[in-house]
Amino acid sequence: MINQTPKNTFDAIVVGSGISGGWAAKELTEGGLKTLLLERGRNVQHIIDYTTALKSPWDFKNRGHLSEKELEERPVQSSHCDDTNKHFYVNDKEHPYTQVNPYKWIRGYQVGGRSLTWGRQCYRLSDLDFEANKKDGHGVDWPIRYNDLAKWYDYVEEYVGISGRAESLPQLPDGVFLPPIPMNAVELHLQEKIKAAYSDRVIINGRVANLTEAKNGRGPCQYRNLCSRGCPFSGYFSSNSSTLLDAQETGNLTLRADSIVKEVIYDETQKKAIGVVVIDAITKVETSYYAKIIFLNASAIATAAILLNSVSPSFPNGLGNSSLQVGHNLMDHVVNEGSYGTFDGLQDKYYEGRSPGTIYIPRFQNLDTKTKKTDFVRGYGIQGKGDRENWQSVDTVGFGASLKASLATPGKWEITLGGRGESLPNYDNKITLDPENVDQWGLPIIKVDFKYRENELAMLEDMTKASEEMLTKAGFKNVGSYRTYPAPGSAVHEMGTARMGHDPKTSVLNKNNQMHDVKNVFITDGSFMASSGCQNPSLTYMAITARACKYALELFKSDKL
Amino acid sequence: MNRRSAIKGILAVAGLGYASVIGVKYFIGQSNKDRRKLKAQAALIAELTNVIIPPTTTPGAKEALVHEFIISYMEDCSSMKEYNNFTNGLTELQENCVSNYNKYFENCTAVQKNEIVKDLDSDSGSTGIISKISNKLQGRSFYDILKSLTIEGYCTSEMGATQHLVYQLIPGKYNAITQLSKNQKSWATK
Repeated sequence: MINQTPKNTFDAIVVGSGISGGWAAKELTEGGLKTLLLERGRNVQHIIDYTTALKSPWDFKNRGHLSEKELEERPVQSSHCDDTNKHFYVNDKEHPYTQVNPYKWIRGYQVGGRSLTWGRQCYRLSDLDFEANKKDGHGVDWPIRYNDLAKWYDYVEEYVGISGRAESLPQLPDGVFLPPIPMNAVELHLQEKIKAAYSDRVIINGRVANLTEAKNGRGPCQYRNLCSRGCPFSGYFSSNSSTLLDAQETGNLTLRADSIVKEVIYDETQKKAIGVVVIDAITKVETSYYAKIIFLNASAIATAAILLNSVSPSFPNGLGNSSLQVGHNLMDHVVNEGSYGTFDGLQDKYYEGRSPGTIYIPRFQNLDTKTKKTDFVRGYGIQGKGDRENWQSVDTVGFGASLKASLATPGKWEITLGGRGESLPNYDNKITLDPENVDQWGLPIIKVDFKYRENELAMLEDMTKASEEMLTKAGFKNVGSYRTYPAPGSAVHEMGTARMGHDPKTSVLNKNNQMHDVKNVFITDGSFMASSGCQNPSLTYMAITARACKYALELFKSDKL
Repeated sequence: MNRRSAIKGILAVAGLGYASVIGVKYFIGQSNKDRRKLKAQAALIAELTNVIIPPTTTPGAKEALVHEFIISYMEDCSSMKEYNNFTNGLTELQENCVSNYNKYFENCTAVQKNEIVKDLDSDSGSTGIISKISNKLQGRSFYDILKSLTIEGYCTSEMGATQHLVYQLIPGKYNAITQLSKNQKSWATK
């Protein structure tokens, strides 16, 4: 029964307050829409709730280690968090899901979501990525090209503040950059050696959402490299530090934390979505909220689950799922644990301050006929970081005064390189709902069924070999790799579960992120990705969210929704 | 003091009970997750850490209260295997002290303490494949745990990080390339 009142009715509802939901809230409220922003986790107020941000190592009783009990509660999250930031990661026991094959679903249920703890790397996709599906036949063709997104990349970069350098690389378009975070001595050394040894690849300054200059009253970065605790200096971009504050400023935002969206309500007579059912995470009371526009930004797995749980006579398989693609084509970048080496030279050089950035080797495989690989399609980029050994890695020989002195002596330079590769859209990589098993809110448990296949595994092998070869050619010693590969999900770039496409029969969203079947539902979290590229994806989510909001606002204002 | 009663004393201090003398390992191996008993060994652990990281021009591990971190870590964070390795190691160490010097480690002279730790240190440090497999199956050895937690606890303590190393809570800037000055100390954090 519909019980629509002015109190529970808005112009727009945004589900999820992470990096894309924050942008949707900002753009829609600034466009004049009364917007309800729903977040399933607790509220986190910028700065006030960064409770560990200013602590020193000795302020943590166990110096950052999680206790056995905490580990037991976090069998999945514990590989990505420690005692200093665990409050921004879920307790796996409280939020169960089923892994058909090992899959790490790393989650941050709070206002701001994982924008608080993200890696902050920002890279544009290029037409190499947007044309890939069409060219090699994996997945469906993207309904957009780089040109459709270029100005929206500009738009969000200008606001976010991304440090980086223009390089004129066709596979990695330049953007609007703040000054780059400079490379240290060993990183520059590697850059020079790679330039001399290879014609197909370069090392560039990583492009990160850390402010090398103050912007809109935020930052600059203080070079503490403790970003995942939340930044009291607003030195990096998060929903909390930026988009949500601007949305609040408009007076058009209603933020409701502890609000789990159970389903989207579909009206059979109007043939559109009219609202959402929310379960209060604490009281478990259900309430419905209504709006003309609904944006789903719950993150790829959760958004697909909401759609699959939204069953109606028109959509017995889940809202907007006439294509039967919802929940399928799940992707996560394939990453290795990394390669490393030490360097004997440059002993007279050091650094001051802790860089939150990295170096980056943009994709150098399958760009053209010269760089064609025979064992895999698409490609990978490599992130890296160099520093000097300190007590954490220096050789600790013996004991007593000599050991003690060695702890205080800057050790050798060391560098680590880690590949991040594209994963192909595959129908069999999927999430489904398990109605036989429900969580404490009565919602079906999500089943994740995902495996890396031949292409990803070949790439994994290649990125490790290539990293070792580069380090060896650059004169590094003790070169090696961690050969244990992290479980899928570890990149925390899950995407693809409601892909865009030209054809409603094979895709869920159109080129404007509208559901083909339900035109007033927009999805702009990672779900829309028709392919994964190898670039860190958040920047693309932000740009496409801003683009979709502009479109939604136009429809709203011309009363076409 | 004869050896038997000395061990009884040590075990009583450790809260392990006299009944376990015959089967120390068995008893501890069966113990549940009640790990509060390690606090009674604070003085012993403090002395051991202070041999590994002694006071020099900067404070030693004992003054930096590294033993408090080690006890807390062993109680809260370590696996049961390593907890048992650690407590068994302490017991064995005291047994050796009593049989060799007829007193507890805490009461040994500086030279004797050094000898004891030297013995432990020379037996450890194998990084070969067999040692790695053994660590995976059985947890790290007593001394490996002691040494690595002493280093970590010291370098993350306020005294260690700010007096023996250099620590900046808020660097405020990033100089990517600096000239290393003579005797420049290592940064405490990365």
